Parts: sequence; C-alpha cells; structure tokens
Amino acid sequence: MTSLLILITSLVLQLFLPWWVIAPVAFGFALWKSPKAGKAFGSGFLAIFLLWVSLALLKTLPNENILANKVAGMFMLPGLRFNWLIIVFLTGLIGGFVAGLAALTGFYFKKIAMKDKN
Amino acid sequence: MKYIKAITLLIFTPALIYLLDNKLGDIPPLGKLLNPFAGFWQNAEPKELSEKEIELPELIGKVEIVFDKHAIPHIFAQNEHDLYFTQAYITAKDRLWQMDFQTRFAAGRLSEVVGKKAIEIDKYQRRLGMAYGAEKMAEALDNDPPVKAAIESYAAGVNAYIRSLKPQNYPIEFKILDYKPEEWKTLNTALLLKLMSVTLAGSSDEFYMTNILKKYGKEVTQDLFPDYPFREDPIIPAGTKWDFKPLTIPKAPYIEASGQFSSLKTKQKEEGIGSNNWAVSGSKTSSGFPIIANDPHLDLTLPAIWYQVQLNAPGVNVLGVSIPGSPCVIIGFNKKVAWGVTNVGADVLDWYQIKFRDNSHKEYRYNNRWIPTKTRLETIKIRGGETITDTVFYTHHGPVVYLNKQRPDLFAKARNVQEGNALRWVAHDPSNDVSTFYYLNRAKNYNDYRAALTKYTAPAQNFVFASVENDIAITANGYLPLKYNNQGKFILDGSVPENDWHGRIPTEQNPTVKNPARGFVSSANQSSTDKTYPYYINWTFSGYERGHRINTRLAQMSKITVDSLRDLQTDNYSILAQNVFDTLLAAVDVQKLTATQHEAFDIVKAWNRYFDAGEVGASIFDIWNKDLFRRIWADDFEDKKIMMRFPSRDRTVEMVLKEPNAKWFDDVKTKEKETRDELIGASFLFAVDSLERRFGSIGKAWRWANLKGSNIPHLAKIPGFGSDKLEIGGSKYSVNALGESNGPSWRMVVALGSATKGFGILPGGQSGNPGSFYYTDMLETWRTGKLEELFLLQSPQERNQLIKAKWILRH
Repeated sequence: MTSLLILITSLVLQLFLPWWVIAPVAFGFALWKSPKAGKAFGSGFLAIFLLWVSLALLKTLPNENILANKVAGMFMLPGLRFNWLIIVFLTGLIGGFVAGLAALTGFYFKKIAMKDKN
Repeated sequence: MKYIKAITLLIFTPALIYLLDNKLGDIPPLGKLLNPFAGFWQNAEPKELSEKEIELPELIGKVEIVFDKHAIPHIFAQNEHDLYFTQAYITAKDRLWQMDFQTRFAAGRLSEVVGKKAIEIDKYQRRLGMAYGAEKMAEALDNDPPVKAAIESYAAGVNAYIRSLKPQNYPIEFKILDYKPEEWKTLNTALLLKLMSVTLAGSSDEFYMTNILKKYGKEVTQDLFPDYPFREDPIIPAGTKWDFKPLTIPKAPYIEASGQFSSLKTKQKEEGIGSNNWAVSGSKTSSGFPIIANDPHLDLTLPAIWYQVQLNAPGVNVLGVSIPGSPCVIIGFNKKVAWGVTNVGADVLDWYQIKFRDNSHKEYRYNNRWIPTKTRLETIKIRGGETITDTVFYTHHGPVVYLNKQRPDLFAKARNVQEGNALRWVAHDPSNDVSTFYYLNRAKNYNDYRAALTKYTAPAQNFVFASVENDIAITANGYLPLKYNNQGKFILDGSVPENDWHGRIPTEQNPTVKNPARGFVSSANQSSTDKTYPYYINWTFSGYERGHRINTRLAQMSKITVDSLRDLQTDNYSILAQNVFDTLLAAVDVQKLTATQHEAFDIVKAWNRYFDAGEVGASIFDIWNKDLFRRIWADDFEDKKIMMRFPSRDRTVEMVLKEPNAKWFDDVKTKEKETRDELIGASFLFAVDSLERRFGSIGKAWRWANLKGSNIPHLAKIPGFGSDKLEIGGSKYSVNALGESNGPSWRMVVALGSATKGFGILPGGQSGNPGSFYYTDMLETWRTGKLEELFLLQSPQERNQLIKAKWILRH
C-alpha cells in the first residue's frame, strides 16, 4: 500500500521535478507509515523500481531497444543481445535503491519521533 | 543506536543522491541519466515519424515540411526568412548537439564542458586565431545583405528550437556530458566554416621542410622534394591554354630564413582527407545531358558530417547536403545545374620567423624598423569554476602561435608549429563563403556558377559544375595568394616585406576549364594544372593515383549512365599497386621463402590490384609497401632531435622504379650496405610475419577488410555510439578512398536533363540521435556502394507515397 502511494506520488511529481524527488516522497511516506525497517526499505525500493522499469520499458520497446543497447555499449558491456535488459534493470536498481534508503531514513526518524513522544 | 542509524542515513542518502546527480570525472551523472522521466530513455525514439503543427511567432508565413523514408526534410517556405529559419529549426531538431560541440571545439571552448583535459586543445584553437578569423568573417557579411539575412534567420531558427526544449528533450550527449545547449550566435556559422579550413587547409610542412633543408642542403632537398611530381594527371587537362595576361610574379628575396631544429618524432603526412568529383558532357552520356558526381572524403563521424535537405521558396528550389550550422546547400543540385567540391590543397598557410625586440614581445622587426605587436586576450573558462587567460601576440602576419618554450611537448596537434613563428593563414581574412553557396543554390547556368565562385575565399575547392545547357566546368577556386615560386615551402623570414603575400591571383585567373575536348572534367586533389600555369599554388599536392584512375576510366567510357558513375565512385583499383607491382615481385628471392611465405607470395602475385574487401593479396601488399617506405626513409628522416617529413609517395615510387642504386636505400644505422632489393625482400617477410602474428595462419582472416577494420566513430568518441567494424573495401589511393575511418562522407550522382534526377547516400543517417532509427539507416546502403534517389519535389503534395510525415510551422 505504501509502495503504491510512493509510486503514484513520485509519478506525478517527477513530471515536473528532478529525479531525486523520489527521495523526499519515500522519506515522507515512511515517516507517516512504516512498521519495520525492512518493510520501509522494501516499499520505497519496490515503488521506484517498478515505476522506473515500467517507464523505461514504455520508452525502449517501441525503440526496439536501439538506444538501450548503445548505452550498454557506453558502459562497456560486452555485445550481448539482452544488454538492453541489463540497462533496464540497472535503472530500476538505482532508482529503487535511492528510494529505499530514503524510506529507511524516514523509518528511523519516525522511531526517534515516536520515542520522543513517549 | 537508532540515532546513529538515522543520522548516518541522513548523511549517506543525500550524499548518494549528490553523486548520482553529478558527473564524476568522465562518469556521467547516473541518476539523472538513467531516470526514465528526463534521462536518456527519453531519447529512445519510435520508428514512426510524428506529424506536427507548431506555432512560432518568428515566422512570417506558413512553412510546410515533408519527410521522406530516410527522414530527409523537404522544406517549402513562402519567403527566404522563413526558409532559412526553418532549415535551422529542423537541422537543430536532428543535430543540435553536433552543432554545439563542433562550435565549441572550433572556438576553443571545450574546457567549459569537459573540464581541464581540453585546455591544450582550447589554447591551440585560439592561438591559431579561430575566433579571430570567425569575427572577421562575420564582419564581411555586411557587404552581402541577403546572405547576412539568411545567417541571421538561421540563428533565429536554432534559438527557437532550443527554446522549445525542456531538459528531458536535450540530445543524449548533453545528458551524458551534463551540460546545456546555449544560445546560437551568427558567429557560430562562421566558426563552423573556419573549421572546414582547419580540416582542409590547415596543415603545413614548412617546419619539417626547413629542418630538412638545414640538414641535407639545397641539392638533396630539391632532389627528394621536387616542385612537380613525376607522375601527374592534372585537374585542368595538360595543354589547356591560359587565356589571360598574368600579373607580374613577385620576386623572392635573397635571404633565407633560419630557425632552430626541434625535437619530436617525424610524422608521415596522412592521406585520406581528399575527395573526388567529375562531370561528363552530354556527348558521352546515354541521355545526351551531363552527369556529375562528387564524393568528399573526410574523417567520418556519427552523427554524419552532412545533413540532407531540400530548400524551396520563391526563387530557389535546391536539394543536397548542408553543414549543420550553416544555411544553404553546400553540395547539390537544382533543376538546371548541379555542383560539387573537392579540396584544392593550395598553399594558404605560411609561417614567418619573428624577431622580437625583447622578451616583452611588444615590438618585432619588419622592414628595418620595430613594429608594435597587438595582443589578444583569450579567456578560457574551465568546468568547475576556474578561468585562465592566455595572451596571444599578433603581428601583421597573424598570431604568434607559440612563443619560445610555450609549445606543449606532448600535444600532437601542435608538433608542426615552430615556436616564435607567426601564422599567415587565409582563414584569418574577411570572407563571405556562405555567399557562394547561396548563389549556387539559385544558379541557372554557367555564368551564374562563375559569378557565385568569385565570392569564395577558403578552404579553396575544386568546384565542378554541370548544367542542362550542356556545359561542364571545373575551377580551382578560392583566395589563392599571389606568391613567388615556392614562397612558403620553407619557413619565411618575417622581417622582409618581400616575404609578405602579394595580394591574390585574380579570381578569373584561377585555374578553370569549360567543356574540354575530352568530354569530361574531374578532380581528386592532385596538382591543379600542368607546369605552364604562370602562378605558384603549391609545390605539393595529393598523389595523382585517384585522379589518373578516374580520367583513364572516364576516357574509355561512353553512353555513361548514373549507374556507371556510381560504379566508378566505388572503384577499388590501386594505381599505386600497378606502378610498383612488378618491381616489388621481381625483388623477392622466391627460393628462400618458407611455405607460408611462398603461399603469401603466390597470392599477392595473383592479386588483381583491387582493394576489395575479401582480398588477402591487398593486405599483404599494403603492409609490404608501407613498410618498404619506412625502411627506405626512417633512417634518414627520423631523428629524435630534428623533426622532418618523408619524401612523397611519388618521389619514392620514382626512386624504387628508376634509381635502384640510390644511396637512400642503404640503412645508415647499420655497417652493411643494404640494397633496394634487400629492403623489398625484408618488407615482404615483415608483411607476412605481421599478418601471421595478428590473424594466425594464412586464410580468410587475412582479408583486406579485416586488416583495415573500417569503422565510423562517434564525434566525441563515446563508446557504443559509433558504428561496428565494417566489412568494406577501398583504400586511400583508390577512387573509393576508404581508410580506417576516413572516406566518402557523401556520395552523389546527378543526371541533368528535362527531369533532373539526383542520387546520393550518407555514411550514417539524418538524425544525430543515437536513439533514433535514422541515426545509421543509410549506412548499409552506403557500405554496399549503392545510392538512394533524391527527390527534388516541386510541391509538398507531390509524390505523396514517398512522404512519411508532414510538419506545418506557422506564425
């Protein structure tokens, strides 16, 4: 559920804000609702991984992966047929990792805040 | 504990974001780049071209653009402002980064975007006076209002396109190198044309030649570096009469320049930047109308160097290739005429030894007086904040490119520049070269062609021409300085007024020929004329091999068609091989060969002298011949202390064939006396050995295409964005002059007639976007030596079945 909220909010905000807006979004939702550290990270990661991978696929498939394969070449990957998939995966991984970490940060801040309340 | 975790994460997460949002050395900003909302994924274009209607307040009327299957734009405007505005808008759509990057390169502003590593190249470009020359070019435009207006409309068009972009729409290279497009200035057009002068008229051997003169003396220098080749087939057919009264040829002063020797390694002059063009008269064609062909050879890059476009407005309807960044069509045709260019290779760049009064460099000696220098401050901004200022001293000759101890030793580009010398270069003169193309685009006949040519300065080109009125012509055209014989073969004494350029050869006296008896005109960068031409243009030109092959074949041909000329453009035959073949083979002692060497010998003996992709003989010959060249000259002309060049291929061939006992065959570094045949034999063994070492035992892997490894790199050498290795024939001395990564950057054949028909192909595509289907969609057709029809449409409605998309731009 948190994932879905992060995903939708990021989707909307990224239309006009820089890519790292995914971090404050994930942070914010984790601050609001995240039961456990692992779940917090997971929800941030999953949301942005899915969002970025889906959009990358939306762009690369009609392109017959011409560009993704060239970018793979730029990263010096050996010339394999499925190079473009590695780039799609890398995209999801980097976005997901940043959002996951931001969510985790949110979770620990929430814990601190809750303790202070008690 | 959780405090520590929270704080660690609070520091680490933003730090990670920062790293992913910024360039680290040469690593692009990964987060920004991979972000599918604005990063590189946005540059992945679908195959279908889109339809568009765009409102642009700068336009006066409505402009229609139709795109054919290769996404070539055919622009239909109602006035010239809209025409050039739209040419720029559409070119920028496809090539904005290329335009930006090349302009920065030309102006010496690469450090601004790539950082410190480009400082030397930036300094060099500025010290050569690139921006200085471009500024003068921009000033000269005031004399030609319609051309000035065209360049201004063009700048407005580029800027309108840049303004329409959001960061996610920037070309991918901006994202990788992490910078933004900047406003386009009219000066940029001048800069890009100056860049052509650097490529085509920016080299000089004077420094090397002066060193050779000092080491070996006059006699040897004259013997090994003669003023006219032994084998020649000049552009203006030998025996053509000059129907003008020449100006008085200036006298050479008595004194010779002196300079110090300098270290660094000899670099053999590389060929491969040159071109072919020719036109055949209607008397030799099956249609009875002329056919014209042109293929300019350049260092190939992706995005392609040229951009195809049709420009239609009242008074003009022309199709061909343009330079991204400049209005008009540079090589092309309209209904009535067609034209093309090859490089002349005139001596338009000279070095003058300067004697400064003292180390302040404020005054220099000239005509027995001290004359003040001017200074120009070059401010180079470096990415990351730092700014450096470089002071360049200008004499009346031009900039002193490097003062004493100023030349960077490890910077290869500057190795032919002697410290303390001033540069006199035609690219510094006021010029208005766009004008020539503006009027050629509108030319209707031979007289219009001749009139357009008078406006051209540099780099001097052999302009070939054909018209439906059945005229063919060729002119070595540009600002050709009036000089005494060989003025500029060696470094000149800058204090002697007689050494200044003495004005120019009158334009109408530039070498030209119209409708010669042989029924064709041609050029391939060889000598412009025979020895009867009264003026000095240069003492050395590209070898005659390509020109001779073209002339031999054209002379034999009759009932010529587009296809037979296309076939000639891709002719891989080597006149060089033909010339030396028998002598080389005869010198090899077959008795002493091993089995592999013997097999190789038999292959090369049976080889037909065509540099076709699959020929093993071509590979053996190529290494054999190159190595022989080195063996002959390296011991004499390669010196750690003195920088020199090797004698020409023409002189070498003459010596190998006719002077078997020349002393130069002996390797002065050994005690024994080597003979010509020993050198030839040793080079043959070297060729076989090196092929075996690289490709294993003799077989298919030895084929020419594999050895040559032709490929087309990306303009900024971004890995993955260039082409794969191409299975392709041709050689530097064949008509099909395809080297490792230089060769025909555009092939065009135009058949004039009641319905003039053009054909052409680019090694690449129209789009500069590596993520587009149109980035390399013409490459395979080009590789196989075929051409595509070029559609000179009369209206945007014509031949609708060809049109894949239509754009409308309106006020």
